[in-house]
Amino acid sequence: MKEKKEKKEKLDEDVDSIEQELIELGKFYFLNQKYDQAIKEFQKAIEINSKNPQGFYNLGIVYEAKNMIEKASRMYRRTLELKPDHVFAKEHLNKLVGI
Amino acid sequence: MASKKQIAVIGLGTFGYNIAKVLSQKKCEVLAIDINEERIREISGLITHAVQANATEEKTLRALGIEKMDVVIVGIGTGMEASILVTLLLKEMGVKKIVAKALNSLHGKILRKVGADRIIFPERDMALKLAEGLISPNILDQIELSSDYRIVEIHAPQSFIGKTIRDIDIRAKYGVTVIAIKKKQPIVTKSGETDFKEVVNISPQPEDEINEGDSLVVLGKIETITQLKKD
Repeated sequence: MKEKKEKKEKLDEDVDSIEQELIELGKFYFLNQKYDQAIKEFQKAIEINSKNPQGFYNLGIVYEAKNMIEKASRMYRRTLELKPDHVFAKEHLNKLVGI
Repeated sequence: MASKKQIAVIGLGTFGYNIAKVLSQKKCEVLAIDINEERIREISGLITHAVQANATEEKTLRALGIEKMDVVIVGIGTGMEASILVTLLLKEMGVKKIVAKALNSLHGKILRKVGADRIIFPERDMALKLAEGLISPNILDQIELSSDYRIVEIHAPQSFIGKTIRDIDIRAKYGVTVIAIKKKQPIVTKSGETDFKEVVNISPQPEDEINEGDSLVVLGKIETITQLKKD
């Protein structure tokens, strides 16, 4: 029983670390203006954990950088659903809707 | 050093409140007048002077020294009568420049007759801007230079991405001049979040490249800009 619990914890940790790595990789591509590659990495991170606001916020930033305004707005809204006090997502969404 | 511009704003609805606030931020000396105490309280910390008073009374306006102002903005939004009366009083008192907000074209005509130097139609102007924006979602902003020429900010067309201004040959092909390229530069904030800042390249060189996400500020004839947007 104890062994099973330990295995599950280890698995959870691995998943967390993969998710974080994907986000970091996405950020790396974004900073190098490789927007399409950044999108792929952030989407993979969201597939692993759809409850992490970081993946959605970063996707929003990349879409906005590509002038894909509607998609960016959707991503910021999703970020705020998961983390209502996300200051950056709020600022970007306000700017896009014209507040 | 030039003295600060003195501007009075009469009527603190959404329009008056925001214009007073922005003028104050731009270092103007602002006097705001409204009959509503609550509105005066809201703005009092943001501007030089905020006075609760009835602006339709001449003696009140005189007591506030309104005739010495460089510009008086009449932003009264409720009831045409009050805005017309105040504009007339200001004109009679010899105010140098009166800017008045009109609710409709008839209101605008009367304001002009009683002496407003400039009339603005915020709702009509905003409606026109919105209509243009909905028809051409690629247009971010525009300034009308004449009935034929405009300065327009557009998202860079897909066919321009990765090319230089020389490669595209914008002026010869489309008859427009690129005044500026706005770029989004990816950054990491102090708190570790990704973000971008806008960098403006004014008067770009022929070898400057247009990248994904860029916006172009172009000057040209309306028809040629329309053609540019389609590409």
